[in-house]
Amino acid sequence: MAAQEIPNLRTLLGNRRGGPSRGRERGRGFPGASHEGNGALKDNAVRNTDQDAASSRVSCVELGYLNDSYAKLFATQPVTRRLPLLNRGTYVRTSAIDLLVDQFLTTSPESPKQIISLGAGTDTRYFRLRDKYPNSQLIYHEIDFPTNTAAKLSSLQRHPQLYTKLTSNSPPNPLSVAPSATTYHSATYNLHACDLRTLTTSDAASAAPLPNVDPSIPTLLLSEMCLVYLQPSTVSAILLTFLQKYIPPPTPVALVLYEPILPQDAFGRTMISNLSTRNISLPTLNAYPTLSTQRQRMKSEGFMDGFKAADTDFIWRQWVSEDEKERVAGLEMLDELEELELLLKHYCIVWGWRDGGLEGDGLFTKAWQNVGEQEGGEPGDGLKAG
Amino acid sequence: MSIGGSDLDKAIAQLRACRPIPENQVRELCYKARELLIEEGNVVGVDAPVTICGDIHGQFHDLMELFRVGGDVPDTNYLFMGDFVDRGFYSLESFLLLLCLKVRYPDRITLIRGNHESRQITTVYGFYDECLRKYGSANVWRYCCEVFDYLALGALVTGAATSLSPTDGPLADTTNADSIPDPDADIEIETLNANGEIMYRYARNSDSQSSSAASQPNSTPASSSPIAPTPSRVGAAGTGATSSANGSSRNDTGAILCVHGGLSPLIDTIDKIRLLDRKQEVPHEGAMCDLLWSDPDEIDGWGLSPRGAGFLFGADIVKCFNHKNDLSLIARAHQLVMEGFKEMFDSTIVTVWSAPNYCYRCGNVAAILELGEDGSNAGFVRRSNGDAGGGGGGWVLGSNVGNGGGGGLNRRLSSVLGEQQRAREGPGRRYRVFEAAPQDSRGMPAKKPVADYFL
Ligand SMILES: C[S@@+](CC[C@H](N)C(=O)[O-])C[C@H]1O[C@@H](n2cnc3c(N)ncnc32)[C@H](O)[C@@H]1O
Repeated sequence: MAAQEIPNLRTLLGNRRGGPSRGRERGRGFPGASHEGNGALKDNAVRNTDQDAASSRVSCVELGYLNDSYAKLFATQPVTRRLPLLNRGTYVRTSAIDLLVDQFLTTSPESPKQIISLGAGTDTRYFRLRDKYPNSQLIYHEIDFPTNTAAKLSSLQRHPQLYTKLTSNSPPNPLSVAPSATTYHSATYNLHACDLRTLTTSDAASAAPLPNVDPSIPTLLLSEMCLVYLQPSTVSAILLTFLQKYIPPPTPVALVLYEPILPQDAFGRTMISNLSTRNISLPTLNAYPTLSTQRQRMKSEGFMDGFKAADTDFIWRQWVSEDEKERVAGLEMLDELEELELLLKHYCIVWGWRDGGLEGDGLFTKAWQNVGEQEGGEPGDGLKAG
Repeated sequence: MSIGGSDLDKAIAQLRACRPIPENQVRELCYKARELLIEEGNVVGVDAPVTICGDIHGQFHDLMELFRVGGDVPDTNYLFMGDFVDRGFYSLESFLLLLCLKVRYPDRITLIRGNHESRQITTVYGFYDECLRKYGSANVWRYCCEVFDYLALGALVTGAATSLSPTDGPLADTTNADSIPDPDADIEIETLNANGEIMYRYARNSDSQSSSAASQPNSTPASSSPIAPTPSRVGAAGTGATSSANGSSRNDTGAILCVHGGLSPLIDTIDKIRLLDRKQEVPHEGAMCDLLWSDPDEIDGWGLSPRGAGFLFGADIVKCFNHKNDLSLIARAHQLVMEGFKEMFDSTIVTVWSAPNYCYRCGNVAAILELGEDGSNAGFVRRSNGDAGGGGGGWVLGSNVGNGGGGGLNRRLSSVLGEQQRAREGPGRRYRVFEAAPQDSRGMPAKKPVADYFL
């Protein structure tokens, strides 16, 4: 390496603002809480995870990892700069999902598509997609608890950059909804206030209505750190409802998951115990602890035409181009390489699909044929590298 | 006012309780420390017995646990390989305590510089913010940074014994007694848990001996790189000088170089380290930067470091450097190791990591490395540290780090035994492995730091 190729630390450090955020106090349980109180406490902790995700996004945007002018419009808490390794992880998470979504939207671009984001929180993806694919016929749905959808709606009302993008025709100006509103519906964007756990009925006819969900167009379900907070049996029941009732066969449907794996090693055990002090538990983590169990899960939930998985360490190495890697690596000095690898190996992207009978020629098969998955992922595999 | 004598002891007592000392005392302390450090060469000479420690990173309570496990200063002679600050919540208390101990017992504790002992890095990784929060101004941070500039870049340990005199510690419940070699055997490596119970013991050159077995089970042993076959020169380590006849017939071990990161392509002899002008902020490149930033890796020769500073270096580089400088081992820190320590390249280099559950998130254990004194082995008294607790009982290498840990162990033995004898026999190495201190065990505020995750 020539000396001048060694990055200059001074230029890499950028301008610092505040320290890493730490010592969050909210969401703690007290031992004597009743079972019900405990449940409410936990729901509350889970709802609050969204602001974590939002601040992580803003931190990434401010440092140039992500290009997303909408992120800061949703962050209600003052955003402190995250550690470089967390920024890197958020970058990988967001760009990995972006890649899968892009491939979906650009395959048969003329035909209508639908995305349903489960536990969408303050996600900005809808707005970014509107900018990127202004001519696509996309119907976007976001589902979250009423508290979170209400907060989102009020951000939508406040910012013209947001409310002008909510419909495809001339924008309402300003957006008028009742002050207590928790839902919003248009031909392109829908915000559903709904506890996902109510979508578990086995009787398809009685499942809650989700207005504007089109049962006949190719649909991508997205769970970015959402379903992992629910019980495995509840998640299966929710997915069944979607696959049978909202998006019945033969409509092509896919699921993209972002969630942690490897709960049993030292890092995983520490994660579980640290999160439990914040009243957060991750029930599906133990049920699907590895990449291979995640793939198996996809298949058995009904995404039988394809079921693939990769951890985010693999995704950083394999999905991100060399140029982009160099750009991102140059944004911040990152001295926490071993920790970064450990962290990235404990989160994964899983994607599975049902193409609706068009074997080998289905929409999702085509869309994702070139997306590389990670071999293996049997228990213990993750420990081999190093 | 001047900090000395009883003032110093008061400051030590206060810091041991994890309470910061007033700003004017910090200034005084830093001034004293600089006067001391300026007298040290870039490579400090240290006599065995010595206990070598890796990164601390402001994990104050774990530093206390380290002292509990390894013995207190000045009873134990310590060498800390840098990265005292950043990441943890108590960088200030940790660094100032070490500095006080240095001023109080200059011959019983050696501090060398890590890549985090730098103005630029501490502004990103927490120490600067911590000083600001605790004192309301950046003065203390500035005083500390001035001390950083005077820290030595490395240390050279001489007089270490080639074999350990075995501890009389009991076996850890998980240890198989049959796997423990005879006490009269020439013990090369011993691994003890925090309670002083034996987890592993390996005799030199025996069938069960494998220095690599003490390292991370999953790493592949060093490649086919040739080791210099010539018999070792006789001469004081690191110099071209002639023999430093040191008494014992047993002592044919070379010296041990301790440095935070690793080697530099610009440095082929220890004398070249001695010639550097170290009294400055860590530069972005060059020999001084490399010593603090580089990492060993399974490559041939030199490679680009993904950290953006320093280099990667392979087994051939280490073996060549060790041979040329009459070293038996390089001890370094800098990289998180889940098992606390990791020997590489036929035990020519070891990484020692002393921050358990790093960043309150990683779940790793920590280790310190004890080197005994040539001949007498006086360094190894079994410590009675009063109350047990603090975990460690029942901890087994491998089982603690998830599945697949133990299996690799035996696989590695054969591949290493086939390797050529290296020029110098390594020193006897006793690793003490420990876990994170319980957060509220000693009257400390039970403020459990919450690590960030992706939610
Ligand atoms: C960690 S946030 C992730 C937000 C967003 N998907 C992202 O990645 O930025 C988890 C979200 O899932 C939502 N969520 C969790 N359980 C839910 C449930 N049972 N019903 C609806 N939303 C839920 C939470 O309210 C929260 O907004």
